[in-house]
This record gives sequence, structure tokens and C-alpha cells, in this order.
Amino acid sequence: MRPSFWVAALVTVLLSGTAGARPTPTTAPTLELTTLEGKTVRLADFKGRVLLVDIWASWCGPCKSSFPSLDALYLELHPLGLDLLAVNVDERRRDADEFLSHHPHQMPVVLDPQGRVPEAFGAEAMPSSFLIDRSGNIRFRHAGYSPASLPVYRQEIARLLEEAGAESDGVVVIGP
Amino acid sequence: MSLLCRTVVLAGVMGLSAQGCATVQPWQRGRLADPCMTFDSDAGRVAYQTHWQEAREGAAGGFGVQSGGCGCK
Repeated sequence: MRPSFWVAALVTVLLSGTAGARPTPTTAPTLELTTLEGKTVRLADFKGRVLLVDIWASWCGPCKSSFPSLDALYLELHPLGLDLLAVNVDERRRDADEFLSHHPHQMPVVLDPQGRVPEAFGAEAMPSSFLIDRSGNIRFRHAGYSPASLPVYRQEIARLLEEAGAESDGVVVIGP
Repeated sequence: MSLLCRTVVLAGVMGLSAQGCATVQPWQRGRLADPCMTFDSDAGRVAYQTHWQEAREGAAGGFGVQSGGCGCK
């Protein structure tokens, strides 16, 4: 038997174990999530607002810096039309609670132990975040986090807030 | 054993072995990111050693827990 057969067979077996590329949606998926307080939140409820979906976990190193930074961003920009959902993907609730006990926050936190949100959004790393415009389109994606990401977030959010939408009220200027 | 028979058996074995392959998604790596998963009996010492190595090299990542198992960037 020719060696090319064995090479082809080996490649087939090796490739069979790899996952196919996850779909990367262009519009926000239809999902229902549960907040820490037990309330149900739908992504569709945020239509007309600019929404930042941040996916984090207690075991994720960069999340320790992204979480408070994004919370501060939320406090600053929420009055201008920004909403934020911090999606926790810890399998155990107590891990999330312990993290949150050390990281006081104002932004809404929802629980997703099954990982439905990162699956639906096609997340590629931890943390991951997605910026959704007023029409429900996913406009910007972030894989990972560093302090250098914050100015980029600001630029992107300002751009989305400026765009016409259900609650748009003119030019938005966001400081550095 | 004929060539056809050997090919079928081999293809079967390769197919069965491929069933064990799975991709752990980034958000599913909580257990892999646990310090106890490092390839060393002393996770604390490894963390300290990694810290000064990163400071000396001016680069971070690729040392096991973070950037290794957890899918963090």
C-alpha cells in the first residue's frame, strides 16, 4: 500500500479530533440569563441601547483587572446610554461569589455556568467581550484584556453611542 | 490476514481512537487553570519562579496555569 494512503489516514484521524471553527454571529443571539439576584434578563431587552457583554470567570487571571476596569467604565458611561452585562461562566456559584466578595461592583452580573453565552457569541479566549449597537448588531469583539484595551473600548463605545438609534440624543464625548 | 482485512481493522482502530479527542473551550478551563494542575509538586514555588522569570525576560505567558491551561490571553 502506498505511503500516501497512510499519510492521508493519519491526517484524517488527527483532524477528526479538532473542533470546527465556531460560528461568529453578527447579531446578538437570543438568550435569557439569570442575574445574581435571580431575575431573568434577555439580551433583546437592551435593543435601543449600546450593550457591552463581558465574559469572565473567577479563575481567569486577566479578569481580575478587566472586571474592576469595566465596572468603572460602566459607572461612567451608563448615564450616556451604555449597558453592560458581566457574564460569569464559573461552574460553581461559590467561586463567583468569592470573587465578587473581593471585587465590589455596580454593573449587572449574570450567571452562565453552562457557557451558553460564550458558545453563542463564539468566544475565543477568556476574558472575551462583545459590543452590541442599538440595533442589536455585534460590532466589536475583544479577546483577552490588558490596560491598553480601555482606550479602544472608549473609542468604540463613543462611536456606537453617536450612531442614531432609539435613544440616541446627539454627539457623545468620552474623555480618556 | 488479507490486505483489505488489515486496512479495515486499522481504520477501525484509528476511528475509535479518534473518539477520545475533544476540544476544551476557553470558558471550560476552570479546572485546568487550578494551580494544582501545574507540572510541579510546589505550585507556590512555580508561581514565584514564574514571576521573576517574567520580570527578567520582559515577557509573560506560556508558563502553565495562566496562558497555558485557562485559555487566558
